[in-house]
Amino acid sequence: MITWRRITTGVLAALLAAAILGPEWRAAAPDGRTPDELFAAGNAAYEEERYDDAVAAYQKVLGFGVTDPRVLYNLGNAHFRLGRLGPAILNYERALRLDPSDREARDNLELSRGLIRDRVGEPELQYPIRVVKETLEAIPTPSIAWVFLVCVWAAAAAAGAIPLAGSWIRRRLLGYATVALGLLALTAGASLLYRGRQDAAPIAIVLEDRIDVRSGPGEENTILFTVHEGTRVELRNNLERWVQVSLPNGLSGWVPVAALEKV
Amino acid sequence: MTRAPRLALAALVALAAALPAVPAAAQEQVRVRAQVDRFEMGEGEDLRLVVEVIGPSLDKVGPADMGDLGDFDISGGPSVSTRYQWVNGVSTASKSWTYMLTPRKTGKLAVPELSLLVGGRTYRTRAIGVTVLPRGTVRSPHQPPPARPAPGGPREPARSRVPLPPVALRVRAEIDVKTAYVGQQITLKVVLAAQTEVLNAGPPENPEFPGFWAEEIKLPERPEVRRVVYDEEPWTEITLMKRALFPTTAGTLTIPPVAWQIQVRRRSSDPLESFFFTPTETVTRRSDPMTVNVLPLPAAGRPAGFSGAVGRFDLAVTADRDMARVNDAIGLKVRVSGEGTLGAAGPPVLPEIADFKRFEPKVTSSASVVGDRMRSEKVWDYVVIPLAPGVQTIPAISFSFFDPHDRQYHAVGSRPLAVKVDRAEAGAVAGLPAVAQSDVRLLRRDIRHLKQATGGLVDRSRPFYRSPLFVLLVLLPFVADAGLWAWARTRDTSPAAARSRRERRARSVARRRLREARRAMAPATARAFYASVAQAMTDYVGDKFGLPGAGLTQPRIEEMLETHGAPEDLRAAFHRTLETCDFARFAPSSSGEAEMRQALREAEETLVGLERSLNR
Repeated sequence: MITWRRITTGVLAALLAAAILGPEWRAAAPDGRTPDELFAAGNAAYEEERYDDAVAAYQKVLGFGVTDPRVLYNLGNAHFRLGRLGPAILNYERALRLDPSDREARDNLELSRGLIRDRVGEPELQYPIRVVKETLEAIPTPSIAWVFLVCVWAAAAAAGAIPLAGSWIRRRLLGYATVALGLLALTAGASLLYRGRQDAAPIAIVLEDRIDVRSGPGEENTILFTVHEGTRVELRNNLERWVQVSLPNGLSGWVPVAALEKV
Repeated sequence: MTRAPRLALAALVALAAALPAVPAAAQEQVRVRAQVDRFEMGEGEDLRLVVEVIGPSLDKVGPADMGDLGDFDISGGPSVSTRYQWVNGVSTASKSWTYMLTPRKTGKLAVPELSLLVGGRTYRTRAIGVTVLPRGTVRSPHQPPPARPAPGGPREPARSRVPLPPVALRVRAEIDVKTAYVGQQITLKVVLAAQTEVLNAGPPENPEFPGFWAEEIKLPERPEVRRVVYDEEPWTEITLMKRALFPTTAGTLTIPPVAWQIQVRRRSSDPLESFFFTPTETVTRRSDPMTVNVLPLPAAGRPAGFSGAVGRFDLAVTADRDMARVNDAIGLKVRVSGEGTLGAAGPPVLPEIADFKRFEPKVTSSASVVGDRMRSEKVWDYVVIPLAPGVQTIPAISFSFFDPHDRQYHAVGSRPLAVKVDRAEAGAVAGLPAVAQSDVRLLRRDIRHLKQATGGLVDRSRPFYRSPLFVLLVLLPFVADAGLWAWARTRDTSPAAARSRRERRARSVARRRLREARRAMAPATARAFYASVAQAMTDYVGDKFGLPGAGLTQPRIEEMLETHGAPEDLRAAFHRTLETCDFARFAPSSSGEAEMRQALREAEETLVGLERSLNR
């Protein structure tokens, strides 16, 4: 018969083994080099201006399943040095999705966007909405998730203590605390939901020099406008090898799927 | 009327009648004629047309109306000459206008009739037929085409003059390269070849070269005369003009023909004329058009700072001092010079200089021709002011150009210049800040540097907040709360909980009953008053000990109070008050308001005492 003591011992042993051995990828590098070593090799190649080698090394790291924002950021830098603004912007965007508080990635993305051909104006937000949006985007999503979790637990603890309180005044104070912590948890949860939707938004970057955006999915349709490498588009609908995209200024049309890469 | 006046009148009438006949007789002697130097010519050659008026007097003689020349254009002239002759005591005058005509097309053309106004009367010449042969079938200029005398007319002189042979002249244009890059120098030379004595030559107008920027190459004051032989015949060559042409656009460009008017000396067949006069003739010659293939500057290898300079250039950067104080002005001279043109070239790439304030440069440029090649120099004079002390460095400056000879871009650079900058003078420090402050400027933008992973890489593709564990942790407190509330509810509904609740509420229930009794404290409601007081006391004991209040008897109350430690005096007071109430309930008339107040006070004091003693 399995006792609780044996179960606890087994769980602790498993956790200890995971902590010592690390994630699966640490021991699974096929060419004998760990992703950390490959990352360092990529950095060394970059410093020696061998940007193609750096790109290859970073892509190997990503190929091992290690999606670290620093790898994506450095990969964006290497592409930038090679003059490939589309892949550079793509990787900066990916790095920012994983770590929105990365100021360097945001600066490099802004610089790269200033060098591409297309300039797409975005609708300007009103003052309070803009501040809230910028504040939310500056906080890392995991931090919001933790705040949400703590608030939920605190509110639940206060609510749970109400029936245990002896006096009515204690119950009332606990009731107020429950409401306040519940509102905080609600706000954090809404922020987490917003960030989750933002992180999962179907955004893609144009990787070809130029693409004609057509009125429908097919070469026979009218060319509505043209976008160039590095332009950020929102994906809407798919139809075979074509995808409907829209720009922040409201322009919309169809392009071949192969011309884009999803962030 | 006397005889004499009659004779005078007759004479006047005769004279008046005779007067119109005099000019008519004179006009009968006026002859006009037009002559050409040949009746067969080649395309591109000029035809010499002489319009002559011969008469006793040259008063009131105007030039011919040349408004409509049919298929010919006037390319030169007119040159006017006048001659007088005395033959057998009769004077004859002649006036001639010499024009150079250019045919507009080939074939059989005609110089139309020309009208002249002489003495108020219009005279017309005869039309002259001329055959213009296409280019290539023309005889060479030093082989004069056959000329035939102009057909004589009634108004033409009986003795036709033999036309002079054509002038052996030709104008030739030469270029040194047929294919050039945009901005590369093409040297155009216009040469006159002559077999006759040339007195003067000049372009009829400023030649224009569309598609080129032209710069004059000055010729020596004494023209260089060369003897050459063409087709075994001696010719004399003189360079008329040189231009340095710089194509401004790519493609096939045409250098248009350059027309020159040349004045030459002619030998007349009349020895007297040749002896007394210097007969000259002005002829027009054109060079042939030429085409140049102009190539665009190659895009491959074009440096970032290339500003369009084509040629070979050197760069020199000098500062007028290597030591200065803060806020002193330093002159920085950037000089680019070499073969080629710098007219449109922008300044060399001067990087932003930190800790220096820089003003817009003063630009001076000059050009000269050395050995037919254009040499240019452009100088940018900057004034820079050091803003901070220390050894400041003016970084290397580079200038790039395209060399058409090796078809490559080149860049020339200067060395960095070190300037030792001392602090401002002490006086300045005392009164003013020594260093002029300025905003920190961003010199240029670049991406941020690489990131390191000293703590190791972390896979963030599956964040914690998207894991099932996170959802579990969010839901767990709600489940726990639900369980807690359910447990509390179960706890509250059990008999023990009910008894405990009764016990907790015993005091408050008793106080409520006593308040009701106080409201009924009046002789009319004495019965209700005492009933409320008695119920408050018995219900208190029932609630406190979990007993039904209705069935409590005094012995049972006494037993419970004693068991739970109530003092004896309180127990006695309790029973006394209860008895007072019972008595008064059955005999209310015996109790007044004072008695009721007394009973209420005793009940309150007893219950307070019991509450204290039982809770201890």
